[in-house]
Amino acid sequence: MSIFDKINDISNEFQQEIKSISEESQIVDLKNKYLGRKGTVADLFSMMGKVEPTDRKKVGQSLNSLKNNFAKKINEIKQQFSKTEQKSKDIDLSLSGYSFNKGSQHPLTQAIDEMLDIFNHLGFDIAYGPEVETDWFNFESLNFPPNHPARDMQDTFYTEGNGILRTHTSPVQTRFMKKNKPPIRIVAPGRVYRNEAISPRSYCLFNQIEGLYVDENVTFSELRGTLDMFCKMYFGSDVKLKFRTSYFPFTEPSAEVDVSCFLCGGKGCRVCKNTGWLEILGCGMVDPNVFKSVGYDSEKYSGFAFGLGVERMTMLKLGIKDIRILYENDIEFLKQF
Amino acid sequence: MKVSLNWLKQYIKIEEKPEVLAEKLTLAGLEATVEVVGKTVPEKVVIGEVTAVEKHPNADKLSVCKVDVGAEEELTIVCGAPNVSANQKVPVALVGAKLAPDFKIKKAKLRGVKSNGMICAEDELGLGNMHDGIMVLDNDYEIGKSFNEYLDTEIIFDIELTPNRPDCMSHFGVVREIGAITDFGYKFEKIDLDETGDKIDDLVKINIEDEYACPRYSARVIQNIEVKESPKWLKERVESVGLRSVNNVVDASNFVLMETGHPLHTFDLDKISGAEINVRFAKKDEKFETIDHIERKLSDEILLICDSDKPIAMGGIMGGSFSEVDDNTKNVLVECAYFNPAVIRKGSKLQQLSTDSSKRFERGVDPNETLLYAQNRLADLIHKIAGGEISKGIIDIYPKVIESKSVKLRYSKVKEITGIEISKQEIERIFIALGFEIIEKKSDKIVVNIPTFRPDIEREIDLVEEVIRINSMDKIPTIRRLNITLPETVDKLHPFLKSVRNLFVGLGFNESLSNSLVSEKMANSNIWNYEPLKIKNPLSKEMNTLRTDITQSLIANMKINVLRKRENIRLFEIGKVIVKEERSETGAKEFLNLGFLISGSVWGLNWNEKPKSVDLFYVKGIVSILLEKYGIQNIKYKTEESEDKNSEIVNVFVKKKQIGKIIQYKKEKFNKLQLEYPVVIAELNLDFIFKNRKEIKKYKEISLYPSIMRDISIVIGKDKFAKDLLKEIKTNGGDYLKDVVIYDRFVDENKLGKNKISLSFRLEFGSDKRTLKDDEIEEIMKRIFNKLLTNYGAELR
Repeated sequence: MSIFDKINDISNEFQQEIKSISEESQIVDLKNKYLGRKGTVADLFSMMGKVEPTDRKKVGQSLNSLKNNFAKKINEIKQQFSKTEQKSKDIDLSLSGYSFNKGSQHPLTQAIDEMLDIFNHLGFDIAYGPEVETDWFNFESLNFPPNHPARDMQDTFYTEGNGILRTHTSPVQTRFMKKNKPPIRIVAPGRVYRNEAISPRSYCLFNQIEGLYVDENVTFSELRGTLDMFCKMYFGSDVKLKFRTSYFPFTEPSAEVDVSCFLCGGKGCRVCKNTGWLEILGCGMVDPNVFKSVGYDSEKYSGFAFGLGVERMTMLKLGIKDIRILYENDIEFLKQF
Repeated sequence: MKVSLNWLKQYIKIEEKPEVLAEKLTLAGLEATVEVVGKTVPEKVVIGEVTAVEKHPNADKLSVCKVDVGAEEELTIVCGAPNVSANQKVPVALVGAKLAPDFKIKKAKLRGVKSNGMICAEDELGLGNMHDGIMVLDNDYEIGKSFNEYLDTEIIFDIELTPNRPDCMSHFGVVREIGAITDFGYKFEKIDLDETGDKIDDLVKINIEDEYACPRYSARVIQNIEVKESPKWLKERVESVGLRSVNNVVDASNFVLMETGHPLHTFDLDKISGAEINVRFAKKDEKFETIDHIERKLSDEILLICDSDKPIAMGGIMGGSFSEVDDNTKNVLVECAYFNPAVIRKGSKLQQLSTDSSKRFERGVDPNETLLYAQNRLADLIHKIAGGEISKGIIDIYPKVIESKSVKLRYSKVKEITGIEISKQEIERIFIALGFEIIEKKSDKIVVNIPTFRPDIEREIDLVEEVIRINSMDKIPTIRRLNITLPETVDKLHPFLKSVRNLFVGLGFNESLSNSLVSEKMANSNIWNYEPLKIKNPLSKEMNTLRTDITQSLIANMKINVLRKRENIRLFEIGKVIVKEERSETGAKEFLNLGFLISGSVWGLNWNEKPKSVDLFYVKGIVSILLEKYGIQNIKYKTEESEDKNSEIVNVFVKKKQIGKIIQYKKEKFNKLQLEYPVVIAELNLDFIFKNRKEIKKYKEISLYPSIMRDISIVIGKDKFAKDLLKEIKTNGGDYLKDVVIYDRFVDENKLGKNKISLSFRLEFGSDKRTLKDDEIEEIMKRIFNKLLTNYGAELR
């Protein structure tokens, strides 16, 4: 290796090292290493004796310029450090900035927004209905005949007059169908009420999102497809779904849907009670009696409906164990979202 | 509903592991979990044989044992029990066995000798309290087998049933399901009655007053029986499904109930006065003591089973204490009836008495084959285990037979609904396995006769469900391409609410969501003077009314936060308020409101700015930008006279309609909370803002020429309103006046004089065609001041 190559190598090495300097104390080490009495540059000078006399002048010039260059660079970086030092001596940046109040959207409305956005992607429009309902819309139109044991599935609040607090968002289905003709593709968010003792696991009200699709030739396969896409968009693309037969008066066939536990990936954990599955929603094909109640021909049209509980999904996602914290409104809780 | 695996195996071959079968039942709609009843030990506890015992070299009380557990090499285990000796069969906890949450068997060294496991005592396995020594087992226990195989346990399926499946509240029902799922045949026992007693017609007379309420009533009598303890097999059966063994008659009745699903009742015939039974409705206020020794007051909608002078049972709901079978009963009458589901449901609701029996009748039991089978089965069983003679004949009053239904299924309908093709053979197989009868077969459809134990199947769609749930719901393909139809309308409310939320989150508010159910007191103190809507059956007094405003919710939320020492509270909430409206169908009217509350300083505590209390005008500013954002104009703010000297109320109007309220509460209003700052809230009707918002605001040309600013400070009487002065300035400012802002308000009697205030205005002039000249502006300013002088007595300051 010629001495020129060595000079070149050392120059490159120096450039790298100086770039990596982050503290002032490192500068002294760098200077000692290259420019010190026993430093790299001094070593090179001591090799001058071995250089061919014809090359000596050239080598000498190179070495001098190397030395001056190093000294200059070291000086520059020293100044940079002293500048920043001086500035931060004037302004104590460890003082806090202005104290703004951190605004936040409630985790439940965030979840509703997110879910409705997904359903919008899947072509569902949004519909609404009242919270105080008639018996006909909440029960009868949905194939819960009076005095039917299925009514016991939902403990109901009755209000003065003839109203009841809706026990599910399903009455929006029949309300919407009465006013519109197929094709219908809607989701309906809102509060629903259950006359159940308040506990960490249940509250007297919760938010539901109802879905309804009615057209010619709608099949259970499409219901599966729709819910599969929704769950993958909401929980992640690797979740799996399991459909179990169930019973709801307003759908036939009816199913409950389990999603593979997104916390343990289906291996089994405390949240899914070691089953690897989480029960998240109910669904089914619209019962012909529901079509009858709104004046649709069930030979011509078919459809599917589904309903999911926003609180349950949110609690699973956020790891909330007591539902009541969602309605307590402690700002220390709210500001986390 | 609990069913026992051993019991099921009495009727059908079951090869699946319990967990697998439970999963299959669950997919078919019977949500089943497996329970192991009886004693079990942890896993990895196996049978071992002690082959050699030596004294421990370093400890007197310990032995070093060689134990054969069926593995290649014998284990060396150090054991401290005094009773351990060679050739014993013992339970061995292998390395890895978890005997307690914090006790796992590991490889260990005990006083210098390696030990690979533990020979267990009874208490260490949770089987008892004995700790005198290790358990020594019978010699026929097989080395290496899991100890659990020798313990007396039973597998129970706990099934959560939906209300449409009353048939599955029995072993028979579950057997039929398993038959259809696994394709194994099943068989129920045949009954041969040995009728050697007296003629039943000579023993009892039965009269039914109301055929609608009681369509069928059957009775048999078994004479000269002996009431005693049940045989072991019967005890085990009833106890395995969670019932208490009482005596042979009661247990037999429960056994048949759990087997067939049909509730039966046994009466002590000798306690039935007049040897007659009358089925009738109760008289108003008639009294009756049920089997639980509670005296109940009845109404005329309760169905009763009576003897010649008194009720002896509430039909289908609960028996009476008087006619109960007891240890001295000699002659027993077995009742097996079919009661109208609606009548039983009503009675059960009225009496607030829901029993296993009432639940079954409400959902619908089988009035035909199952009823008769259950009747005969129980008579036979009592005869076999309690002796005596079965009387000759049966009383069976069934004037109007409930016919089974025939339902048509087009094969094509299955694919139409589900999207999956299922073969005709499979469809027929499923129906037959479920106990249905195919009565007609054509190339495109079949007609199926539905037995009356399946009241849930009435229509073609119900048959489609049967096919799909048995063939497996989970096999239906998932479509990867959706049909999306163009909606006729597109919702605008949700995007609107989203933008309102964004505004408030940006302003540093935290969104709250509060209970809509509040106390009547809270609902009555609403800021709108609405009449609250009460709940007829509330959970508690604290939640007996619907909320009539958002404000009360926000104040309640604030209190919780203050009590927890949270500072600078800014909450907003969007929600329904619901009030009484007699003219509406439901008696209710709903509004969508927005409320927000601030208590505290404008900014949080920090080193370079002193806290500044929020006030009415701070909140007015927020209300203004909200309304401006949605293009709501013609806003008027009017103060409201308030009797409460601790609150200042401002009503917000748009034209003549009130759309909101701003209220400033002095901190004294909430004495207990010891607030540092006042509380300011506002509540606005979002329905109005949504309906009247201007979605598209037209672009307004912006001027490229610089504006010119002029300030003017005047002194005027305190009684003058800012809005009037602003209006005066605007009317006289001409086209060039673009904006006026009040930037200072100053009160000082010494400097300005009594009842005088000073206001400073900044006026912005500009043109979109050119830069304005100073002298043009001077002229306008003079005109403005002159008007302020003549009309409002303003002086320059």
